[in-house]
Amino acid sequence: MLESEYQEQNRFFLNMGPQHPSTHGVLLIVLEMEGEYVLDPQPVLGFIHRMHEKMGESRPCQGFMPNTARMDYVCALPYNHGYVSLIERKAGIEVPKRAEYIRVITSELNRVASHLLWLGAYLLDLGAFTPILYGFDDREHILDILESITGSRLTYCYYRFGGVYQDIDDKFIEATRAFIKRLRKRYVIYEKLVTKNIIFIKRAENIGIVSPDMALRYGMTGPNLRGSGIAYDVRKNEPYSVYPEFDFEIPVGEQGDCLDRYMVRVQEIEQSLRIIEQALDRLPDGPVRSKVKKNIKLTPGDCNFAVEAARGELSYYLVGDGTSTPYRLKVRVPSYSNLSCLPELGRGILLSDLVSILGSFDLVIPEMDR
Amino acid sequence: MAKETKDYKKDFLHQRFDATETDYDQRGYHLEVVLDVNQVRKFAQTAYELGFYLVFVTGFHVRPDEGHDKKKSGIEVVYQFARYDRQYRIKARVSVPNTLEIPSISDIYQGADWHERETRDLYGVVFDGHPNMKPLLLSEEDPDFHPLLKEEKKLKFLHEVSWSPEAPEVAKGEAEAETGR
Repeated sequence: MLESEYQEQNRFFLNMGPQHPSTHGVLLIVLEMEGEYVLDPQPVLGFIHRMHEKMGESRPCQGFMPNTARMDYVCALPYNHGYVSLIERKAGIEVPKRAEYIRVITSELNRVASHLLWLGAYLLDLGAFTPILYGFDDREHILDILESITGSRLTYCYYRFGGVYQDIDDKFIEATRAFIKRLRKRYVIYEKLVTKNIIFIKRAENIGIVSPDMALRYGMTGPNLRGSGIAYDVRKNEPYSVYPEFDFEIPVGEQGDCLDRYMVRVQEIEQSLRIIEQALDRLPDGPVRSKVKKNIKLTPGDCNFAVEAARGELSYYLVGDGTSTPYRLKVRVPSYSNLSCLPELGRGILLSDLVSILGSFDLVIPEMDR
Repeated sequence: MAKETKDYKKDFLHQRFDATETDYDQRGYHLEVVLDVNQVRKFAQTAYELGFYLVFVTGFHVRPDEGHDKKKSGIEVVYQFARYDRQYRIKARVSVPNTLEIPSISDIYQGADWHERETRDLYGVVFDGHPNMKPLLLSEEDPDFHPLLKEEKKLKFLHEVSWSPEAPEVAKGEAEAETGR
């Protein structure tokens, strides 16, 4: 038998998903395999496509608010934030300072919750069962805190044009401060359990290296990009809301492997806590919602607004036509661009490494499919 | 801390692109470029060499203005580019001809691959030179269904949805207001 025939016989297709535990949702990846090696991974999207953009274009702009939380359900508040800020920029609505502070506090809490969930789920992909229990335990506190003011635990619809739905109370502030104290004490557990764990390091170090040029060609953003050493964060680069008033750093990795992406997210948790602390210390008094006309007219012309969601740059692009219904609403979501590098990144690697890469990308499928 | 902005208008004007600066505070991007179909690839190449990354590619359905070129289909393709190192955002738009074909940039920016497939799904624009022009988000069984194309009665003229500096300031605070909750 010729060698080429032998190779041909050993090639096969493997469907990973759409119900595979490590694709975190309904994502299908068709893998062309040879033995244990992946030759060509091709993601297949659209299993949970709901056409959010069409919904946004067929009702007055207020009606799209609940949709914003149903794209990235793990980190919904930055999606709220981007949309209200877009309409506020378009319609020239002023936002009280206290409302912007509350937005930052709640968005950052949501970011921490998202990173904690990711940490647990990633380690679960790699075969470690314990970290997800710790991660969910901590995340549960954030969900309780956010539930007390937003009324929901996951798909928040808390921000309004010109402010937020309701003011935060002393109980919220106390609980948030107590949570920050608690989470800082837990760092040492995470470090012993995960960061210094030799099995984890072997599964993540030097795996799935994304070079800065590759990141640029695919338009990667968020922690996945920062892992490659590029300090791009919309909160610093294109400051919005009251972020310029806070002192925080942008953690970056060195070579862009799975371990770097892990380290960036772990360090971002601390940076988010710093922002929340500063915001709580300096929380101004005043109203939390300005008076806004019920019928918001979107002036003709286009408008863009970008925010930093937990997974990267979220960009809303809107074209108005003078009515209150957007003529065109485009949502640019981060995971979509982040995952699109997989066919190039996953060529010629072990299947088990592909699982590690997918986990380190922190994908949320409903966000990609929209 | 806002990083300093550099003026990239000169770089693009130098390459004979129709670039105009825009008011960032109102529109959220710094430069608007109107492209001709045969300039798309050259523009993408220039942007890549200048160090821009691709934010998104999408479509836009509008009725071309009266007296305008009748050969236009009314569909535009919108590109957005931005930078990692400083605050600068570009919007480029190109009017798609009646054949609904425009050149693909997926070999310059590999990230455009999925965005272009999505635009084909939603608007029916075919990207010439794309290696795999199959449906991405929508079903493969019905490749001719393009949900974001506007119905005839909802289609607006281009000038009705274009930004103009004289546009009346509509939404600013007057008239009856909604209070607190």
